[in-house]
Amino acid sequence: MKEKIDNILGKSLTIIMGLMVINVLLQVFARFLKISAPFTEEVAGFLLIWVGLLGASYATGKKMHLAIDLLPRSKSPSAQKKFSLLINSIVILFALSVMVIGGFRLVYITISLNQLSPVLEIPKGYIYLVMPLSGFLIIYYSLINMKDQKPFGE
Amino acid sequence: MEIFEVLVLVVSFVVMLTLGVPIAYSIGISAVLTMLVSIYPIPAVTTIAQRMATGLDSFTLLAIPFFILAGQLMNKGGIATRLIDFAKVLVGMLPGGLAFVNILACMLFGAISGSAVAAASAIGGFMNSRMEKEGYDKSFSAAVNITSSTTGMIIPPSNILIVYSLASGGASIGALFLAGYIPGIIVGLTLMAVAGVFAYRHKYPTSGSSSIPEALKKMLNAIPSLFLLIVVIGGIVAGYFTATEASAIAVLYTFILALLYKEITLKDVPDILLDTVSTTSIVMLLIATSIGMSWVMSYENIPQSVSAALLTISDNKIIVLLLINVILLLVGVFMDMTPAVLIFTPIFLPVVTELGIDPVHFGIIMVLNLSIGLCTPPVGSVLFVGCSVANVKIEKVIKPLIPLFIAMVIALLLVTYIPELSLWLPGLFDL
Repeated sequence: MKEKIDNILGKSLTIIMGLMVINVLLQVFARFLKISAPFTEEVAGFLLIWVGLLGASYATGKKMHLAIDLLPRSKSPSAQKKFSLLINSIVILFALSVMVIGGFRLVYITISLNQLSPVLEIPKGYIYLVMPLSGFLIIYYSLINMKDQKPFGE
Repeated sequence: MEIFEVLVLVVSFVVMLTLGVPIAYSIGISAVLTMLVSIYPIPAVTTIAQRMATGLDSFTLLAIPFFILAGQLMNKGGIATRLIDFAKVLVGMLPGGLAFVNILACMLFGAISGSAVAAASAIGGFMNSRMEKEGYDKSFSAAVNITSSTTGMIIPPSNILIVYSLASGGASIGALFLAGYIPGIIVGLTLMAVAGVFAYRHKYPTSGSSSIPEALKKMLNAIPSLFLLIVVIGGIVAGYFTATEASAIAVLYTFILALLYKEITLKDVPDILLDTVSTTSIVMLLIATSIGMSWVMSYENIPQSVSAALLTISDNKIIVLLLINVILLLVGVFMDMTPAVLIFTPIFLPVVTELGIDPVHFGIIMVLNLSIGLCTPPVGSVLFVGCSVANVKIEKVIKPLIPLFIAMVIALLLVTYIPELSLWLPGLFDL
């Protein structure tokens, strides 16, 4: 299950990153050729939100986020297990409260206020859906990480 | 400012950091907890979520993943070795030549890739074993590599200066980039001075000079890599394109170069992209939660109170700058650079602008200052990477690091108290 999600998430992120590069290069060439492509700047911002937040969940799964792990590292294996439980619970608390609950509220408010992006007129709420989505993924990964012996990555 | 809110913020943050909660999440949680003191839970979490999302929706920030990607491509694309050869031609004949080569190569690679960690691993990976073969002390080589890697943070293009531009509310990226050159070179020179003394004392060898045709060939080989700097910085300064567009051009350029050098093939692209996403998203989550934190702090009027407090201690420019530098050095020890810039710029910038300090100058001071923190335990990312590529224990590197730290602090003081070092070059280009 985890490999499957990792795989799908990794592939999607690779594609989004590729699109980001193409999108901005398009903008540069369009300007040199004096063609107007006003959507590129807007698309770039959206893609960055997606890469940033979805990627954050991917990095959580791989235990790549920076942490000061001096204290847990210095403890015995059994204590490290407790640290793992505690640290991952705190991460879950954040993902659940801010990213899932706060994120859904944000999506709900922006959609009900009918906020549209200026150029493409996409409802901004759809873009912000990545916040609760990524929140769920972080919770999922943290639940798996919780069972690990060690709270920190390599 | 309510003392209670500040207490909640600081205590919760410190406790979570010590427990080993990832920094980005620690920042987010303490932002929420601080808000809960004065706001109901649901609006509090919604506001933080909103700040995080809208904070990332920025065309300027997009330069960060692109410069990271360009750095990855350079790392795998054989550019590091060419820069090392180039540096060897220039400084290899000096006593302790390889130490100088290491510093110069880090400055060049750090500048081009914009990442201190990338410089430490790419240059360190090549240089440490070569230096060991020629009889250099392993921990000395690692210490030189670690400190000189940070010059890439100030020598443009630099991601952290882009973050500063954002946090300062729009200091010109072109001006910041130009302002970084002289201070970055000064740091490099002070490090070289220390390394030179050490090499002289231990009678380290020169790494020999190459024959003139060979030297010419090595210099020619490095030109395509160095030309990137001219395209990127020249383009931004001349106003041809924005920093973000320049970063995308850097990606295209390094990609073509790496393909021509036959160091990567199209098959490697997905892996390189995914590596870039991982590094990027670590930075982006830090940025997102730091923007949330920064909003909470201004909501609680914390920047104004800190300004007022600092100015009651002294309204003397020299003393206030000294105080700020000391505080930032301490912050740098415990905090990663990106959140530190995003959180402390709104606090200190109003104070220093009131004393007549240029925001561009202050940006250079701040980044140079926090660079020192990158090489100190417990959160020095460059220290960790530098030690792991050199295969030495952190404890061993501390001793040779100390004189290099002192050199960096001297460079910091020079840059702090001689504004022309930062402002002369941008002034020359009317930025």
